Amino acid sequence: MRILLIEDNEELAETIVDRLRAEGHSVDREGDGNEANELLRHTRFDIILLDVNLPGKNGYDILRSLRARGDLTPVLILTARSQIDDRVVGLDAGADDYLVKPFDFRELLARCRVLARRRSGTASNVFVAGALSFDRAAKRAIVTGKDIDLRAREVQLLEILIDNLGRMLTKEEVADKLYSFDESPSLNAVEQIVTRLRRKLQETPLVIKTARGLGYMAYVADEE
Amino acid sequence: MSPMKSETRSYSLQRRLLSMMAFGFAVLLLIISFLLWNYARGAANRTYDLLLAGAALSVLERVSPGANGPSVDLPSSAMEILALAPDDRVVYRVFSPDTGVITGTSDLPFPADIPLQATPVFFDAAYGDPFRFVVQGRQMNSPQGRLWVVVQIGQTLDARRAQQMSFFLNGMTGLAGISLIGLGFVWLAIRRALSPLRRIEADLRARAPGDLTPFEGAPPREISGLLEAINSFIARLDRNLRLTEGFIADVAHQTRTSLSALQGHLSLAADSSDLAKMQGRLTRAERQAERTVRLTNQLLANAMVIHRSDRATLKPVALKPVVRDTLAEMLRDSRMRKIVVTFDADHVADGEDMLIADALSVREALRNLIDNAVRHGPPDNKIDIALDVEDDALVLKVEDAGPGIAEADRARATERFSSIKQDTAGSGLGLAIVQAVADGHGAKMRLATSRNGGLAVTIAFPRLVRRTVAPLVWVAALLLGLSGTGTADAQTITVFSATDTPAMAPVIAEFEALNPSIKIVYEEYQTVSLHEAMLAGATPDVVISSAMDLQVDLVNRGIARRLDIAESADLPDWATWRSELFGFTFEPAVIVYNRAAFDTGRLPKEHRELANFIRDNETVLSQRIGIYDLRGSGIGYLFATQDAVQGLQAQRTTEVLGRTGVRTFCCTSEMIAATAAGEISIAINVIGSYAMSLAAQDPRLGVHFLSDYNLVMARSAFVPKAAEHAAAAERFVRFLLSEEGQRAIATRSQLIPIRSVDDVDTWTLSQLRAQAGSFLPIRFGPGLLTYLDALKKENFLEGWEASVRPPR
Repeated sequence: MRILLIEDNEELAETIVDRLRAEGHSVDREGDGNEANELLRHTRFDIILLDVNLPGKNGYDILRSLRARGDLTPVLILTARSQIDDRVVGLDAGADDYLVKPFDFRELLARCRVLARRRSGTASNVFVAGALSFDRAAKRAIVTGKDIDLRAREVQLLEILIDNLGRMLTKEEVADKLYSFDESPSLNAVEQIVTRLRRKLQETPLVIKTARGLGYMAYVADEE
Repeated sequence: MSPMKSETRSYSLQRRLLSMMAFGFAVLLLIISFLLWNYARGAANRTYDLLLAGAALSVLERVSPGANGPSVDLPSSAMEILALAPDDRVVYRVFSPDTGVITGTSDLPFPADIPLQATPVFFDAAYGDPFRFVVQGRQMNSPQGRLWVVVQIGQTLDARRAQQMSFFLNGMTGLAGISLIGLGFVWLAIRRALSPLRRIEADLRARAPGDLTPFEGAPPREISGLLEAINSFIARLDRNLRLTEGFIADVAHQTRTSLSALQGHLSLAADSSDLAKMQGRLTRAERQAERTVRLTNQLLANAMVIHRSDRATLKPVALKPVVRDTLAEMLRDSRMRKIVVTFDADHVADGEDMLIADALSVREALRNLIDNAVRHGPPDNKIDIALDVEDDALVLKVEDAGPGIAEADRARATERFSSIKQDTAGSGLGLAIVQAVADGHGAKMRLATSRNGGLAVTIAFPRLVRRTVAPLVWVAALLLGLSGTGTADAQTITVFSATDTPAMAPVIAEFEALNPSIKIVYEEYQTVSLHEAMLAGATPDVVISSAMDLQVDLVNRGIARRLDIAESADLPDWATWRSELFGFTFEPAVIVYNRAAFDTGRLPKEHRELANFIRDNETVLSQRIGIYDLRGSGIGYLFATQDAVQGLQAQRTTEVLGRTGVRTFCCTSEMIAATAAGEISIAINVIGSYAMSLAAQDPRLGVHFLSDYNLVMARSAFVPKAAEHAAAAERFVRFLLSEEGQRAIATRSQLIPIRSVDDVDTWTLSQLRAQAGSFLPIRFGPGLLTYLDALKKENFLEGWEASVRPPR
């Protein structure tokens, strides 16, 4: 993957760059807000890791102009402020996730993977996770080479979950996306569809986690 | 430790004590005023009862046995005594239980339990208005045998009430003064008693900031408790200060230790030549770094939570979304993937989860609870979060399936830097942060064992209960002010008047010009028939009459309305009564003569000489003297009776007049016309206003005043209580007394104004000025009632007729 790290602290930036390169990613690093902004006008990346406090243009401004240009590259905010208000502003400005410094590198890599998969799931027509391969255009899911039989609702649900990898979706949100305006969504039906889809995906690393009272979250179980 | 809150408004102890004392004094004054009020009534009654008793006695004295039963000649002194209470109405009767009422008002109230006795008995009874009555009897011999004659006299309570109020106010003024002096002493005493508090204040102010030694000295018993409390507060402050110092030392110690360990591992790794050993050191260094990070995070969180609970950042917050969002966020963490999280808020309806809180702090508390559960529990831990309403509390419960905390350790668990288990030890701040958040929200935190054997933490927040406030209904007084302005429409008021229409017409025209909205219907009466009409229940808007006694009689019956007329203050004392009856003209009784018959110089100078003058000229004056017919003319009767009050010569004059064959007239105008025409030579006791206005135009007429006294009467007006257009009627009466009205009377009518009017001088007025000093005005008041007594009047008229019309 091609990753852009926008971070002004040399020490931290160096460790992150080294770590990501060790994972086999191609990493560019920018320390100045204005220059980063310029770079993003011309160059495409798969993931952007964005610090908030930057010389020149701050992180939120960069993010805003990025989204204003219609660029949907996943952005992960790195912040030293733990106050929730900042996070909300960041997410509202169009960030996909955030981490509070100091963070565990393993957590950073995990979040990057989620973002990358989410992006690949929406950007390309084929989503691959371990044994699972899902073709959006053909609406076909293949597990270890074999077609699995998915009903229309299950395909829709799978699409929704892949689009929101690593995000908690409430049951109501799922129902809203699953059913059209004039169908009356039944929360029980949602539960049944989730249960069926989960059974069919048992062999794959795609996990549908249920948190009772909160909703559903899909994630790809780490290979290691 | 929470700072002292000063939400309640401060108050002054001194003021409070003083106001309590003032309240006490006020209660005392109230009691005393009640007693004083009663005493004043008694005293006023005693004073005015003497008047009643005096009057009763003077009437009783004039009771005499007669052939047809007892009779009474009402003495004018009786009414004069009663008139010492000048504004009070008077009723009376003389009766015998055996033969009935002899004279006076027959239907006066007479309680059955009043004994017949020769000493006065007083009682209160209502007769229209409240009255005070005296009853006194006398036994006398009569042809029917020995019988009781009883006098009952009643008086309204105006003077008594005024006297009572005067007694009362005088007494209360003194008492209020004494109370104020008393309060002054109280104030001094309070100041002196509170001085120890001021000493403590001075001591506190003078202290150095670091001086936390307790107060010394022996305070008064009343404030020793306060002083103890202050001392114990100082002690706690001292302890807290030491704790804070300890905390800082702890933080320094923890951070430095943690960093030292990290540094140690790293330097060992750096020095190590064995790759495997170096790997081990680095792994441990990483774990140590993780702990240091967590320690730092939690120290910051702790500081943040405490800082935010100090500032008033609390506001209404719905807890359910806060918990849900926090959980959804935390679940993104890859550490949470194997952990089963449930959230149960099914029993909390929307709106029931409102509390006054700082969302950020609550979030931090929840994070720490979940974090604790994750850290101390197994990788597949089960964390159940529940929100529930219990009475006025909103209970947040976090249960896990971890190892839990033994009951013995629970109290210690929420203290700072007190990790229970060394192997999974965090910073030792997690539960302390939760506790701080709970404290900052006035919530109760409790540790228990969960259903799954782990730790159960409950935080019970006080709920923000929304009470439905019944809407207040405000009633707007929309019609306010409309009621008083509806008089714009033309009104017609009726005036019943015993005054010649030509005399009043110009005055009325002037009033109507000034008040276009009011029209006046004027009905002329003779004085006596007007009186009778009023007694029969007529309800005109204004009653005007020259017969002062009859007007007083009507007002004394309580039918007149009280008018608040500022102009009446300019009237002479004798010309108004009870603020109900107002005199508006000044009309002396004069002698009118035919100039051809007499030289002015031959006319008598004084009343005394009048009888001699007539006797000396008996032949010339035979059939040529005119007087009013007393039966038909109210004003004639008034002048005659007032002359009788002045002395015995009146009786003589009447006898002499009778011998000359005096002629009687019904009315002033006819009498003056006869004088002018020479039918008679002289007319006695003629209303001066008419006479003078005619004399001013007719050279045949002369007007003569006597030098000893000249009776003066005032034409008077009142508004009956039953008047239909009382407001307009009051305006008319006010006009009669006003500058404009008096000017109109002076310049446009034959009448003479009672007030002096600037820049107006007429022949009549100059004539009157020449006689100044000789005028004897007749006074409005109960004194005029004497000769209205039916028996007295009949006796007087019979005596007069016997003199004037001797049987042929």
